[in-house]
Amino acid sequence: MRLEIKGLTKKFGSFTANDGIDLVIEPGEIHCLLGENGAGKSTLMNMLYGLLTPTSGEILLDGKPVSFGGPGDALAAGIGMVHQHFMLVPVFTVAENVMLGHEQTYGGGVLNRRAARKQVRELSDRYGLKVDPDAYVEDIPVGVQQRVEILKALASHAQVLILDEPTAVLTPQEIDELMGIMRELKAQGTSIIFITHKLREVKAIGDKISVIRRGKVVGTAEPSASEAELAEMMVGRSVSLVVSKDHAEVGAPVLKAEGITVIDPRGHVVVKDVSFEARGGEILGIAGVQGNGQTELIKSLLGLIKPDAGRIELAGRDISKHGPRQSLEEGIGYVPEDRSHDGYVGSFSVRENLVLDLYRSDEFSRGPALRLDAISANAKARIEEFDIRTENAETPVAALSGGNQQKVVVAREFSRPLKVLIASQPTRGVDVGSIEFIHKRIVAERDRGTAVIIVSTELEEIYALADRIAVMYDGRIVATVPPDIPRADLGLLMAGATPGGSTDGSEVAS
Amino acid sequence: MKTARIAAVATIAALALTACGDREDDGDNDTPKASDSPSVTEETSPTEAAEQFPDFKACMVSDSGGFDDKSFNQTSHDGMEAAAANYGVQTSEAESTDPSQFADNIQSLVDEGCNQITTVGFLLGDATEAAAKKAKDVDFAIVDFGYEAPPANLKGLNFNTAEPAFLAGYLAAAKSETGVVGTFGGLNIPTVTIFMTGFVQGVDYYNEENGAEVQVLGWDIEKADGSFTNDFEDKTAGQSLAEEMIAQGADVIFPVAGPAGLGGLQAAQDAEAFAVWVDTDGCISAAEYCDSLLTSVVKGMDVAVEQAILDSASGTFSNEVYTGTLENGGVSIAPYGPNADVDDELAAKIEELKAAIIAGEITVG
Amino acid sequence: MTAMSPAPEAITPDPEEGPAKGRDLRSWLPTVRDTLVAILLALAVGAFLIAISDDEVIEALDNLFSYPGSFFIYAGDVVRHSAGAVWDAYSALVRGAVGSGSALQRTLERSAPLICAGLGVTIAFRAGLFNIGATGQMLVGALAAGYVGFTYDLPPGIHLLAAIGAGVLASAVWGGIVGVLKAQTGAHEVITTIMLNQIGRFTVLYFLAKESFQREGSDNLLSPPVADSATYPTIAGLHIGIPLALVAALGVWWLLERSKLGFEMRAVGANPEASRTAGMSIAKVYIATMAIAGLLSGLAITMTLLGLQQSVTDQVVGSVGFDAITVALLGRATPLGTVLAGLLFGALSAGGLGMQTSAGVPPELIQVVQALIVLFVAAPALIRGLGRIKRRKKPAAPAVAEPKGATA
Repeated sequence: MRLEIKGLTKKFGSFTANDGIDLVIEPGEIHCLLGENGAGKSTLMNMLYGLLTPTSGEILLDGKPVSFGGPGDALAAGIGMVHQHFMLVPVFTVAENVMLGHEQTYGGGVLNRRAARKQVRELSDRYGLKVDPDAYVEDIPVGVQQRVEILKALASHAQVLILDEPTAVLTPQEIDELMGIMRELKAQGTSIIFITHKLREVKAIGDKISVIRRGKVVGTAEPSASEAELAEMMVGRSVSLVVSKDHAEVGAPVLKAEGITVIDPRGHVVVKDVSFEARGGEILGIAGVQGNGQTELIKSLLGLIKPDAGRIELAGRDISKHGPRQSLEEGIGYVPEDRSHDGYVGSFSVRENLVLDLYRSDEFSRGPALRLDAISANAKARIEEFDIRTENAETPVAALSGGNQQKVVVAREFSRPLKVLIASQPTRGVDVGSIEFIHKRIVAERDRGTAVIIVSTELEEIYALADRIAVMYDGRIVATVPPDIPRADLGLLMAGATPGGSTDGSEVAS
Repeated sequence: MKTARIAAVATIAALALTACGDREDDGDNDTPKASDSPSVTEETSPTEAAEQFPDFKACMVSDSGGFDDKSFNQTSHDGMEAAAANYGVQTSEAESTDPSQFADNIQSLVDEGCNQITTVGFLLGDATEAAAKKAKDVDFAIVDFGYEAPPANLKGLNFNTAEPAFLAGYLAAAKSETGVVGTFGGLNIPTVTIFMTGFVQGVDYYNEENGAEVQVLGWDIEKADGSFTNDFEDKTAGQSLAEEMIAQGADVIFPVAGPAGLGGLQAAQDAEAFAVWVDTDGCISAAEYCDSLLTSVVKGMDVAVEQAILDSASGTFSNEVYTGTLENGGVSIAPYGPNADVDDELAAKIEELKAAIIAGEITVG
Repeated sequence: MTAMSPAPEAITPDPEEGPAKGRDLRSWLPTVRDTLVAILLALAVGAFLIAISDDEVIEALDNLFSYPGSFFIYAGDVVRHSAGAVWDAYSALVRGAVGSGSALQRTLERSAPLICAGLGVTIAFRAGLFNIGATGQMLVGALAAGYVGFTYDLPPGIHLLAAIGAGVLASAVWGGIVGVLKAQTGAHEVITTIMLNQIGRFTVLYFLAKESFQREGSDNLLSPPVADSATYPTIAGLHIGIPLALVAALGVWWLLERSKLGFEMRAVGANPEASRTAGMSIAKVYIATMAIAGLLSGLAITMTLLGLQQSVTDQVVGSVGFDAITVALLGRATPLGTVLAGLLFGALSAGGLGMQTSAGVPPELIQVVQALIVLFVAAPALIRGLGRIKRRKKPAAPAVAEPKGATA
């Protein structure tokens, strides 16, 4: 099916999110849509999927104009979409999720689960999407959940598949598998619109690349274009993709963790006897595939969860019993892994979010009252310093682009003297321009003598920032390695294997 | 759509604006409209050559139960409607949703030019007294309340429901095969418990007279405590109380809990036990349970209200407290139910007891 | 890992969407517009109900169907009588609400408790708590304030303050229990507030059965009226509880927008996870919020008990406790909105009385109108949908697919 978009425009009041977009997606083509967060990619896709009504312009399928009243119409017309955040029911099985919305029934409303299972098996065989139809969605890894989303779209006979930032939540291995699936789909004639801001992926899989900036298509490129060229088109200026940093001036240990063990509410031991030191003036990168205990480890460092065993010391003092409030006051800066979950309050303004954990200090309050003047002045200063792109300080953070939301969180955490900075996935879902900026600030914080702990699932980020890399697998730190370890070896460590035949990963560290 | 919206806005705005302007006219408009009703009623009740008072306005304020409470508010309201039908008076009414509105509601009826205002329930006692002192040219009547020293224009309407309840208690004891009967109330308040007291006394009288030992569940006169649903609406609560009593052997149930008592009737019907209904004749107001009813203890609030209105309209109002008794017919027991199977002897006995109560030979309450 | 909501990145600024993305006054315009449309729509439905329940209209309709030949004559009658009935009812409504000094006084007297109790619901809303417990909080407040008010004999000013203090304190404790249960055990506040409403009522009944809470020589469940020395003083016929309600609204506004505690409440209400990560104590916020909500409910009941000099009964709260929820919803959980919604509901209540007494319209109609207002407010999409149907029809593009369930 050939999808053509002509002069598609979407206005929200005086704000033009999409401005006369023209695109053609040929059958069996992987069309990459590249753009920073907030460039208007999501608005465009939501119009294609019937979630938004265009202000003007046309969508044509095989030359016929169509208009969608909702996703149901779009699906029926053969357009499927896999959202960045999945729309699955966790307590349902894979097969149940796939049949959701077009359930087959025996007479009398009894669900025909067998047919659903059969359909899932057929589709997964045909496209090489390996899933167990009877597994519960909450039990399967993110990468497999994504396959379920793709299956859902295929089950409703989607011929054009929109993948919105599909790699943001995946491990390197899962990304490779996804690309394999995309190639298979393409081979069988499905067109794919692949939305991303990761240049490497675009080059790896795209047939055609369209770059969107500020609601307009600013150009098209071939996959052969260089990353620097693509980045420049995307951001509108030349960007440096490598963080320049001097050699670390490593100081004394600031944060010491000894034998940390965390048992989750379901009784699984998720952090197993983890010990490490974070030293002043050094960036410790904790690498690992999502779900290997990193989340729980850093939560226990801040005091969001109490470790079931072990001891945490900050500058020589035991802080194992501290709650988040005391930890923050002791000088721990904390950038959580999922900013929208616990990094900011979406309905709060930029101004308020910039003091979310500072409002109780004497600087921003007097007695029971807030000092609004000081809070406003702080907002003004931080917005300028961190180049937060917002209409004004009163804009709710939820209305900002992902990169700017992350800048709000980072700006807040960097705006007080820190002894330790703990940042988890500091640039997840952040556009290229903002990644550069956030990385620079992290390095600057290190150079000020702060002990920095970066948790990341992305190898790029680990390599860009870390002075020392601790690899987590299955709740343990399996190795601590220098930053010049080869990519392949690090990948193996993250997958739980030991490179070079060594049975004890920790030997690599020494 | 937009134009339609604007039109709607304009209409209502215009409505609102002009409404403020001609308040006086509007009051006048009501008069011819309301006075249509007597002509209608004259046709419907031609048999009664009753005196007509088309210029007399009788009004009523409910308590927070509202006029559709299937209980004393509604029965009192029936009395006002009967007055309108029989004597051609005009009517107006105000329902209350909470006690803070009582005073307002009475006042607004005074402002409407009511000649007589009936308030329903003891909760209105204070508000009615205060209003009566203020509006001296309006006659007031209050259902279920009596004052020791009422203002000259305020009449209390009380009902000695213990008297018919006594008869019902005697009847219940006589009809009980298990030797256990039960009663329960809506709330532990005098207007409810007076029924239960009369009922218990009737059973006791039966026991004394016949050397029987019929037991009453649900009300202890000495302790002034018993079984209550604590709610006049909750039929389920009434039903479970009654089922409990039936499980303890009761085969006659006497619920005094307004609509909640219907649950008691249901329980009696389910268990093929007897019941005695309250306030109105259950064979009319709760006809689906008529087969299970021995009789009903009728509290003639409608009769009393209608009479109070007639007295005011015809200028014979007095502030003397009215007490409905078996003697004056303000309270009574309803005809026996179809399955009550009251033999002549028992019927005669009940009549005898009634006469004895009227004569003051038996004191009840 | 499976997020059920669309990516926050996908939330594009939609000026048509709900309360205020930015917080300047202009951003409230759509909300104000939607609310006004909802009120007018509700009144329009009310007008329809008035018309079709009017005897003359029914008669005209009857004729219309019986003699379709004289369609125009009887259709004219229907229109004329409908207009007359609606006119009578709504002019009585307006007169009863604002048509005279006493009408206005009535409106204000009925608004004051609605505003205070509404504020209690509002403040809980902002902390993410759905406070259905105003009724129970008001009942125990009435019990305490009433007891002090009719039992003790104190000098006027002090007696009033003591009665208010007792009522407000009892209600705050009653509300605080909900906060403690939520914070300590995670018990959902909707369940606990509903349960505490029941418990509150039975507590009142229990005490009213005691001699010390009853009138001398009476067994009715009715306390003596509060002493004169414990009532709100009046200025020009209005008791000062009414300005007090406005002061309370101002206080709530200050608390929410200008105080540390309010900052914490709003943060916890919008994102408890982020609040905890930012070092806030969610337990403390829940307890404080519910205690303050209870306090406001307690203040509300003093408006009736001490302002209108009432007796304590189990009915004393009436429908105020539940109307408070609708007032807070209509007021979009803001202090100013709650004041305006409280005034509107007070006016409807007072006007409803006028409608009933002078136009014979049953008071249930006002309850229907109130419910419809909230329904239309809660479903702004419905209102906008009405406007959209026409627009959707215009582009007569043949949809390739069969549009199923075309109303999005």
